[in-house]
Amino acid sequence: MSWRRSLYHTLLWAVALLWFAPVAWIILSAFKTREDILATPPKLIFTPTLQNFVDLFNRNTSFTTQFLNSIVLSVTSVVIAVAVSFLAAYAFSRFKPRGTNFLMFLLLSVRMLPGPAVILPIFLMYAAFGWKDSHVALVLFYAMFSIPFSVWILKGFLDGVSIRYDETGRVNGGSWAHVIFRVVLPQVKPGLIAAFIFNLIFVWNEFLFNFVIGGVRTQNIPYALAVGTYSDGGLNWTFIAALTTIYLVPPVLAIYAFQKYLLVGMTFGTVRGEV
Amino acid sequence: MAEVVFDGVCRRYGATLALDRVSLTAPDRMFTVLCGPPGCGKSVLLRLLVGLETPDAGRVLIDGQDVTDMPPARRPVGYVPQSFALYPHLSVRDNIAYPLRLARAPAARIREQVARVAELLSIGHLLDKTPDTLSGGEKQRVAVARGLSREARVFVLDDPLVGLDYKLRERLMADLKTLGAELGATFLYAASDPLETLTMAQRLAVLEGGRLVQAGPVEEVYAEPAAEAALRLVGFPRANLLAGRRREGVVEAGPLRFAAGGPDGEVLVGLRPEAAGPPGRGVAGEGVVTLVEDLGAELVVYLDCAGEALTLVRLAEEGAPAIGTTFRFGVDPADLMLFDRATGLALGRARGREAA
Repeated sequence: MSWRRSLYHTLLWAVALLWFAPVAWIILSAFKTREDILATPPKLIFTPTLQNFVDLFNRNTSFTTQFLNSIVLSVTSVVIAVAVSFLAAYAFSRFKPRGTNFLMFLLLSVRMLPGPAVILPIFLMYAAFGWKDSHVALVLFYAMFSIPFSVWILKGFLDGVSIRYDETGRVNGGSWAHVIFRVVLPQVKPGLIAAFIFNLIFVWNEFLFNFVIGGVRTQNIPYALAVGTYSDGGLNWTFIAALTTIYLVPPVLAIYAFQKYLLVGMTFGTVRGEV
Repeated sequence: MAEVVFDGVCRRYGATLALDRVSLTAPDRMFTVLCGPPGCGKSVLLRLLVGLETPDAGRVLIDGQDVTDMPPARRPVGYVPQSFALYPHLSVRDNIAYPLRLARAPAARIREQVARVAELLSIGHLLDKTPDTLSGGEKQRVAVARGLSREARVFVLDDPLVGLDYKLRERLMADLKTLGAELGATFLYAASDPLETLTMAQRLAVLEGGRLVQAGPVEEVYAEPAAEAALRLVGFPRANLLAGRRREGVVEAGPLRFAAGGPDGEVLVGLRPEAAGPPGRGVAGEGVVTLVEDLGAELVVYLDCAGEALTLVRLAEEGAPAIGTTFRFGVDPADLMLFDRATGLALGRARGREAA
């Protein structure tokens, strides 16, 4: 039994490492010189250098703006999306308006279309309103795109919170705000965090809309990666490696910090014991 | 003084009438138990009193004051919901203090009151725990404590012991009764278990299908059911109801035949299992034993009387009859109740002593 267990674990490790290899390659490359990156056979032992990062901050003047844009755009839009979704999901879960199921489906169907299918009308709309290259307008779009999925996650969690809690709050004199934010909200924290992380990853990685309806002032890191890759003639491997490595840090930290909530979030709140 | 009066309340959900013109008075400082099958409207009635629902028609009065449209927070009512609904993110202490905090009571007052109800329910040692570390019975006590911590004159308990194991229920039932007497408040209590109903009640209200069947002191409802539903829904084991017919002053129902004056017609004959005795007590009957439950001091004997099922309670010292044998019994005619089969209303009793 024990050797089968070890074999199983070895296999899992092998698969995990295989999947992690490209990530490891890009992170290692960030500390290599251009020659070391392109060496054949690949160099595993090399003298690490921070020159790539220094270059990124010195030579690439828009890097800081792009990094800040990525953070501001994703955090702001996701905070708005989660707040709106929580209230919407609360209404769906508690008041069960006529046609709740259909509305929920309609909401999700927004996300069934691939981005390129909706980019044209959105572009025309943004151009007509003069909203291009505006942080507020882009945040609005990302929030709109993050809401359907968040409502779905949060409704699952809210359905798992007995309505008796709400009633106990109301009977004892709690206002609606009290019931929603002080009684129910603390009980769906894992759901809020899961919705936050999932959407954060989406907006953090978003390129297409940033490219089309954004502009010089709102460029984010995916944009910088896509555009900067060929900027000096050939493929700029040191730039890609250094930028990608920095780009990886915030989501990895966020996921690491909240990983125990993410596991709950992935079950959509369906596995909950009632207290 | 906190007399609770429901005055002709109706509540409709879509096509179903959950409460149909229910008028009920729960006297001050009394323990009134609402009983009835699931879905009979007892929870809805309590929710109207608490203020979680508004009646479509009728009024709810507490101490003579109309509270029908008063928001729940302003009613002097403490509520223990069916599920415990303890806040998992708060400690037991904060859970109990919750109604007081919301009412913005001063901190000293909260401390004092929490200590008082915690002592009342002997949960003082649990105050710093969180609800998820408590056992079912402890959670229930905390839920009751939270309901009682409110300064209220009326306390509403909606089937608070459902789902607890038997021993715990017995203990909590006793505790709740003592508590009711100590607090000197009016209690309304919904129960789904027939034993719990009889144990807890001072006054009893029987509901079925959204209508009030009978209300009164518990002894009276037990001894003099005003309708067949009151007989059927109160008491354990379940009372027998035999379909029969009265013709020229003689009633025939299943194995029973006895004289009972009154107009001819279709009747139901009610007999409490515990009212049957050994043969030779007036009305005689017999049936084939299908099952015997030995409860220690008593035996519950299930009979098949030519197709009609009959349940009787006999003393254990008489010895358990063998299954498949014929069992004879006698009934005092004064224990045979007659109901109109169409309306379910009581028609009186078979008073005569003539054996069939």
